[in-house]
Amino acid sequence: MTASHDTFSDKMADAAIRATPEPLAARVRGLSDRAIAWLFIAPTIVLLLAINIFPLFWAIYLSFTNFRANRPNAVVQNVGLGNYSRILNDPDIWASMQTTAHFVFWTIVLQTLIGFTLAYLIDRKFRGHAFWTTLILIPMMLSPAVVGNFWRFLYEPQIGLFAYAVSFVSGIPTSDIQMLGNVHLAPWAIIIVDTWMWTPYVMLICLAGLRSIPDYIYEAAEVDRASPWRQFWSITVPMALPFIMLAVLFRGIENFKMFDMVNLLTGGGPGSTTEVASIALKRDAFEAWATGRSSAFAIVLFVAVFGLANIYVKALNKVKQR
Amino acid sequence: MADVTLKGVTRSFGDKRAVDSLDLAIADGEFVVLLGPTGAGKTTTLRLIAGLEKPDAGTVEIGGRPMNGESPAGRDVAFVFQQYSLYPHLTVYENLAFPLRSPARRMDKATIDARVRQVAKMVRIDHKLENRSTRLSGGEMQRVAIGRALVRRPSIYLMDEPLSSLDAKLRGELRLELKRIQKELGATLLYVTHDQIEAMTMADRIGILAEGRLVQIGTPREIYANPANLHVAARLGQPHINLMPPGLLPDAATPAGTRTIGARTEHLEIARTGEGITGNAEVDWIEHLGDQNHLHIKVDGHKLVTLADPDLPVEAGDRVSVRLRQPLYFGGDGQRLA
Repeated sequence: MTASHDTFSDKMADAAIRATPEPLAARVRGLSDRAIAWLFIAPTIVLLLAINIFPLFWAIYLSFTNFRANRPNAVVQNVGLGNYSRILNDPDIWASMQTTAHFVFWTIVLQTLIGFTLAYLIDRKFRGHAFWTTLILIPMMLSPAVVGNFWRFLYEPQIGLFAYAVSFVSGIPTSDIQMLGNVHLAPWAIIIVDTWMWTPYVMLICLAGLRSIPDYIYEAAEVDRASPWRQFWSITVPMALPFIMLAVLFRGIENFKMFDMVNLLTGGGPGSTTEVASIALKRDAFEAWATGRSSAFAIVLFVAVFGLANIYVKALNKVKQR
Repeated sequence: MADVTLKGVTRSFGDKRAVDSLDLAIADGEFVVLLGPTGAGKTTTLRLIAGLEKPDAGTVEIGGRPMNGESPAGRDVAFVFQQYSLYPHLTVYENLAFPLRSPARRMDKATIDARVRQVAKMVRIDHKLENRSTRLSGGEMQRVAIGRALVRRPSIYLMDEPLSSLDAKLRGELRLELKRIQKELGATLLYVTHDQIEAMTMADRIGILAEGRLVQIGTPREIYANPANLHVAARLGQPHINLMPPGLLPDAATPAGTRTIGARTEHLEIARTGEGITGNAEVDWIEHLGDQNHLHIKVDGHKLVTLADPDLPVEAGDRVSVRLRQPLYFGGDGQRLA
């Protein structure tokens, strides 16, 4: 009896030990640091795979098919490189690429020139420069949707402030200042808004570059009898150049896929004068529902941006290493 | 080259007087070192001469010409900064040529080239002329910075602790080179440092600066042997001068009014006890430096440090006899009595 009682209590103890979970620390102790590191980044990786990497590969797959998203049950056929050859031979698509190139070029030129000039002026540390910095940064903090809608009102020929102001100064009648309706003005309307909104961003990066130049380099140059002009070209510009190039890179990538502002302001019109690549892509994908072909288009764009950015980053690194 | 004279120069930052009615005359071809602790106004003095700061009062004269209102470029000075102030995107050659390419100079290419190569050889950087200045070691960068000053023939060279960021070995080498170059060029040079060894080894005259004022100026020997006051005495000497009240150690001739006695190694006579000598001090501990020892001695609760021969047969805990031999006497105001 005593013996069986003993076995019983032993069994109970065993069961209790088995039922009690090992303390967390002990269970985790079995993991290597590397495993724990992986655990920490796993959620991000999963998310990235789900919403970035998977769609990318899915799009690559679709780009070789004639799949249409509005007919999900139709038979999907493999068309090989057919989509790509159609994309690359389509004059409309090349036109949209060219429009994009124009936008990228002019927005970068304007934003870099104005942004750097503003940064240079702000860096003079005149009275109230902090206040002006804050003021200049405001457009950048607004939502693109808000900016787009605001400027649509401003550009309005009858009631818009922009047309009124231009007409007031130049004497050109407001009815001729159809910023969004005129074939020649519409591209510039978008360039102006993008420049207005993103110049502060370029200025901020340039300002960081200018602030990183120590005062004593300028003092050394002053003692060495370098004129302000020479100081600017042989100290300020070369030392701020990596920062300027970085700003150009960010703005370039951003504007290559410019969509929101164009969509809000002109929707690609008038005609197709402001139809940048991303607008053309959206039309192909969600108006024509040519999912396969638009996937191919997206891949072409992706490769173009990726390739250009890589070449650029190589150049940037070269400048930085000097 | 030219002489430089400062008359009653004052410069304040906020309510702090960085330089306080400073008078200083540097003769043509002279190597003057300003020595003082951080915040004594050494750098500000240099910057005032260079024109990088404007004096609140007083005048700076270079070569007899008053320089007030003159820009740094108009003063014809060369400045070596404490930081490596090279133009980072340029090569060593371009850095050295930079001051010569000023349009105000109108120097032709061949002259510039000859001058750059000559100076590069002088500061021993001629093997790295085509290197980017950012690809140099600290010592090389500072040699380029010194070279960039030497490449010109200004009225005066101003150097702000140019060796302070270098390691001890390189500092020693450059110290010698700088002195050699200065002699070769017959250059007027004002050099700022807080390192007494640099001051002692390079200077024709040392100026001791404290709280924006020039406390004493004289040859290294004078400053060392005849300090005007406690502050100057404390700036020089390794180990630090021992300060003690009068009567602590036996001394023949303490003048009246003595408040503090300053004694360096050469002012202390140490003898082992025994054979009629009774000890008045105890050896606390001994630091072995190799060629010499630092002897830490306790006298009535006062600690003294002195150099000793490593062969001196004493050990920690030994009783020794210490007496003064012609030490420095200071009054209640810190001024030297005798």
